Amino acid sequence: MSATRIVITGMGAVTGFGFEWQTLWEKMLGAEHCVCPWQPDGVGDGTFPVRYAAAVDMTLLPEALKDHPAWNIALEKRSRFGWVAATQAVNDSRLAPDQLREAAVLCASGAPQHMLADMLLTLAPDGSAPGWQHLMPRAGQVNAEGSLRQSNDRLARVIADGLGCEGPVINISSACAGASQAIGNAFQMIRRGEVNVAIAGGADSVLNLDTMAALYLLGAASSEQRWGVDLCRPFDRNRSGLIAGEGGGFVVLESLEHALARGATPYAEVLGFGSSLDAYKVTAPQPEGRGAALAMQAALDDAGLRAQQIDLINAHGTSTPLNDVAETLAIKSVFAEHRHYRSLTVSANKSQFGHLIAAAGAPECMVTALACLNDLVTPTVNLHDVDEQCDLDYCAGQAVSRRVDFALSNSFGFGGLNTSLALGKYREHGQ
Amino acid sequence: MSIAVYIHSAAVLNAAGSECADLLGTPPSPQPLAFDATRRAFALPTPRLASDLFDRKIQRSVEPQGLRLLHCVARLAPALAALQLPPARIALTAAIPEVDAPSPCWDAVQAISEQPQKPLAQLLANTPPLHAITLLNSSVMAYVAEALQCHGPMGGFCSQDNAGLDALVEACQQIVEQRADAALVVSSSPNLTPALYLREPTPSAEAIFGEGAAALLLSSAPSRTTPHALRIAGFARGYSADPQRGAAVARRVIDQALSLEKLCLGDVEQIVANPEDAQLMSLFAEHPRGVRSARAMTGDLGASTLLSEIALALHHTQSASATPGHTLFVSHSRAGHWGALLLASETLEKHT
Repeated sequence: MSATRIVITGMGAVTGFGFEWQTLWEKMLGAEHCVCPWQPDGVGDGTFPVRYAAAVDMTLLPEALKDHPAWNIALEKRSRFGWVAATQAVNDSRLAPDQLREAAVLCASGAPQHMLADMLLTLAPDGSAPGWQHLMPRAGQVNAEGSLRQSNDRLARVIADGLGCEGPVINISSACAGASQAIGNAFQMIRRGEVNVAIAGGADSVLNLDTMAALYLLGAASSEQRWGVDLCRPFDRNRSGLIAGEGGGFVVLESLEHALARGATPYAEVLGFGSSLDAYKVTAPQPEGRGAALAMQAALDDAGLRAQQIDLINAHGTSTPLNDVAETLAIKSVFAEHRHYRSLTVSANKSQFGHLIAAAGAPECMVTALACLNDLVTPTVNLHDVDEQCDLDYCAGQAVSRRVDFALSNSFGFGGLNTSLALGKYREHGQ
Repeated sequence: MSIAVYIHSAAVLNAAGSECADLLGTPPSPQPLAFDATRRAFALPTPRLASDLFDRKIQRSVEPQGLRLLHCVARLAPALAALQLPPARIALTAAIPEVDAPSPCWDAVQAISEQPQKPLAQLLANTPPLHAITLLNSSVMAYVAEALQCHGPMGGFCSQDNAGLDALVEACQQIVEQRADAALVVSSSPNLTPALYLREPTPSAEAIFGEGAAALLLSSAPSRTTPHALRIAGFARGYSADPQRGAAVARRVIDQALSLEKLCLGDVEQIVANPEDAQLMSLFAEHPRGVRSARAMTGDLGASTLLSEIALALHHTQSASATPGHTLFVSHSRAGHWGALLLASETLEKHT
């Protein structure tokens, strides 16, 4: 592999914690979470079975962001969050406009947001079976912010248009592995010399009636009510399913040479990326975590790291019964030599800001980078009664201070699409 | 590229037929759309999946665009199996458009209309538990991976016409960077729905879309069944929604794609591009050999366009009259994506 080193020089995150990554990091170190009572718009009687989510709280929008164009043009909600996050990342990187001209934009946007009101336009006036033929004469009534008007790659394009990026503009679709794939592909593009700078990440929001109903019916989203807002509990015996979040996250990646030439200070270095396929079942991860292990091993190989060098794994940790056991088994298989899994710290960010679905990998990559920078690991909150099949150190309850030279950030998508990013502490003279 | 990557095999499905040679036939006529008789398109019947490769339940749980893709991919299964590779060395990349079907199924839409005061109850009572699976691109990738035993690197792409190039580039790089020895690149056109015509940037009134799918098998060794092979020789991508900047971006992209082989545009034997795109065609006004496209045979296949054109190029390469030379594929999406791919047709030295 080439000697080109790739670093993270800018970060932006919109989550239930707020609109800046600094807030996210501070609250996570304080062992807070942002899961709150939630019901979809249009369900006013509290009967929607999924009662909690980590929604973005618009009252936290800082004054400085109120003029952002994302709030003023027709966009899906997720695209607004993503555009703001990408802008923050670029501002954070202090890249000048002319340095962005040849930049790539890689963006994961999740499944389209279908509007129930639009679908009702497919009904025949006489009440007969619905069909697209009934919608076309009413096309003027189709919501400008819904999926029938907004293509899936809209966010990638508004970011590129807004920043004047003329490099590759790529929209990623690999379910919950999407943002991680975006960052991994961006890393590879810089390493092979296709571009010098990339803005990569994702945005998603499934917090609407029909998408959450679909996740509930699928058995993926938790409808548990015993634990109130504390129901997202990865690796706990009482975990009951994913708790959806929403938002977006983007990082600015650039070659170290490019970063240093303009006086930028890297947060962390991206060292490798691995991906794999379970090839098992659409509805469940491979029970022994075979695909997850392949992705982690591929990331280690790509980074030129030995398993024993890893200090931290930012787990996919969805709080679903199947994922958390399979991921634990995968970690134990990859880090089996000298039982290194006993020396690892494993942390599950979704316990704090929910599952951002296609965007999940982006803020989780940032938190991993910050762990490398600060030698601090954010906790897995709500983990009180560890599942006996989950027998690793999950950093339960509170943040820990420990040396983090190298870390993996895992994201596994529905259908067995797996990714793992290898990050390292930035060192002037290399790893 | 230090390791050569070849287009080993290809499969297509479109209005022209299901064989690459069908793309050389007489153009079919586009037909009025079922939901809008003022527009014409190339619609396809939903194919039946091979039950020896795919679970029969998949036929009911995948949208037509996914079924077309799976039908196409199935025909590459023997070629992939013949390579006898470990599953972890087989990559899978996909260019699949978003699904435009309603996320509550049609039955739920109907039920909600009948009791609009109880949308939640109707939604939950009339949506099958696994309905969401039909809406996810990752489901289609998972079915391909399971059926053809691909455990290696993956990448899913969902843009406009450029998604096919993104998927091809990623697959190619998996082999070049030695993370895989072979890669399946799969693609599908979008379903013909109103969204195609309503989404920005909206197409021209004359746009003729088509339904179809295409899949390629890439490998680090060429197929030895013919005396010629098709090698990936260069690629580049760029973007500008600004028409003033578009030509400069396009020229940069083309120059980059040609640079690895140290070629200029005049050295290219064949250019494949959309002849109806005036901005694109202006780039080749002086090229002596003109521009080829299979678009008249298929309609605009969106994310499946590039792979379908490559499949035809492979067919030419494998014909008895094939001659060595380069083919340059240049794409330009309505939104402003530019892409260029250079393929080299080569004579195999030790053909057996």
